[in-house]
Amino acid sequence: MNAIEIKGLSKSFRGMYAVDHLNMTVPAGSIYGFIGENGSGKSTTMKLLCGHLVPDEGKMKLFGRDYTDPGVRVRVGALIENAGCFPGSSVYQNLMMQCINLGIENPDEEIRRVLEIVRMEDNASLKFKRCSLGMKQRIGIAMALLGDPALLILDEPINGLDTDGMRIMREILVDITEKYGCTVLISSHILGELEKIATHYGIIRQGRMVMEMSAKDLEGRARVFTSLRTKDMNGAKDILKKKFSDVRTEGEYIRVYDVDDTGSIVEHLMKSGHIVSEIRKNKIGLEEYYIELMSGKEEK
Amino acid sequence: MSKKLKFESPTFTQRIKGMLGVDFYRLFHTPLFYIFLAIAAIIPAMVSAMTMMPDQNGNKMEPLYSNVWQIIAATEPLYVIRSIADYANMNMVFIFGGIMVSIFIGHDYKSGYVKQLFTTHAKKQDYMISKSLVCAFAMACMCVTYFIGGTVGGLMVGYETTVNVGSLIIAILGKMVMSLGWASLYTFLNIIFRRYFGISIASSFFFGTGILIIGAAAIVENLSLPTGFLNIFLYGSSVNACLTSSFGTLVLCVLVSAAWTVVYNLAGTYILNNSDVY
Repeated sequence: MNAIEIKGLSKSFRGMYAVDHLNMTVPAGSIYGFIGENGSGKSTTMKLLCGHLVPDEGKMKLFGRDYTDPGVRVRVGALIENAGCFPGSSVYQNLMMQCINLGIENPDEEIRRVLEIVRMEDNASLKFKRCSLGMKQRIGIAMALLGDPALLILDEPINGLDTDGMRIMREILVDITEKYGCTVLISSHILGELEKIATHYGIIRQGRMVMEMSAKDLEGRARVFTSLRTKDMNGAKDILKKKFSDVRTEGEYIRVYDVDDTGSIVEHLMKSGHIVSEIRKNKIGLEEYYIELMSGKEEK
Repeated sequence: MSKKLKFESPTFTQRIKGMLGVDFYRLFHTPLFYIFLAIAAIIPAMVSAMTMMPDQNGNKMEPLYSNVWQIIAATEPLYVIRSIADYANMNMVFIFGGIMVSIFIGHDYKSGYVKQLFTTHAKKQDYMISKSLVCAFAMACMCVTYFIGGTVGGLMVGYETTVNVGSLIIAILGKMVMSLGWASLYTFLNIIFRRYFGISIASSFFFGTGILIIGAAAIVENLSLPTGFLNIFLYGSSVNACLTSSFGTLVLCVLVSAAWTVVYNLAGTYILNNSDVY
């Protein structure tokens, strides 16, 4: 079953399409990394899914039901832009309000459970306005986690977090998908972090879906490259270009793409009198794949 | 890893219970409600006390009222205002209430909490109904504190206390019943101007003063036409609940309040369903 199925979804603001006939499929139980530049339509798509915006056209289904079905919407947790908490109220009071809203029977127990998940069990009495950005983001996640959600929609939840905050958030997201079987739709600019947790990806550009793929697909598509350094970088690059099809300079390194046998590269350079001072075999990550895709280097 | 997913649609009662629960929790756990209860009590007491103060020449001011209960409701339906005393009665609660509703709903949007509500409540009528009911409750409570403040202030000044108790009770109940219609109007206005907090407050204040009906009443009176039809409006019916009210007045208040509540709730729901909510 798919958690989200979007077909031909469009939304325009003053005649400009923010989402333009978007198609999207998020498998149930996945962590779906939703990637795109600023203004590409990620947040708009998420707001449409949550019913905050009215679509111009298109269909949205959540777990096979229309997105306006109250039965499915009550199982959606969202963190879009901010946690959506009252600043003058305590963390506990904010969570309590959401428990009441969702008709949760044992609110105290549920609040303790979600605060434990987000590692904030000692901060329940703290006023929301006194919380740090990282804490606010985690409270937002806790709000979204109340009431056993089947789908979490998280818009840039790791923005502004420090390294430790990002690690905690990463662990939380992996925990909730593994323990509770929740589907997570998450957008982020920090692709390196996303790559560590996502099982599927969707790349959006100018409101249209450019590509959807699983993490395994990405692994298969990711190109192997060897990066190396020599004394005479330009000379070595010219020599390598004669034998290998894709040789580029990336910063202080020469990259030779799609060559499995690193030995053949070293041997070729040595024959030409170039001594390799540093060499490393690697695979391009999500970030580079995304950049290549956006700049049109990768075939669609 | 994944578990069997079940999706049970909440009933209308369950949905409304959840939304009302949140709004009541907020109402009782934040200072806004209590501040407005205090304002509703202090203002009539202050209006009464003003008449005890000497003017610039040290002379005692002309009393605004002759009777304690005129602070609660006018002696007869006064659609056209000729003095501050004609205007300053429990109807002022509807002005305070308008401002309170604007702040209450404005905080929903300002904090972003409204996103949580609209994410989990696919039916947007839930929002309109809940806000109308909770704000009506708050305004009805303000009527009670207004009554207490006005009565205490009036007694301290030494006004007369003679009154037809039945009519007084009907007048108070009538105004409390009208709170639902007024709360629905303010919720509707705040839905329209949800992106503009200042305009929300200004519009609530404008309608709460009843200035449109007062203006219409002045024209009607100049043309020597009957004024009874003004009772179909919220302000008209609120004014009609006075110290000469009968049971029919209360029935009219119930009907008018209910009718406008339905109208504003339908209109507000239509707007929420057909426009971006956040």
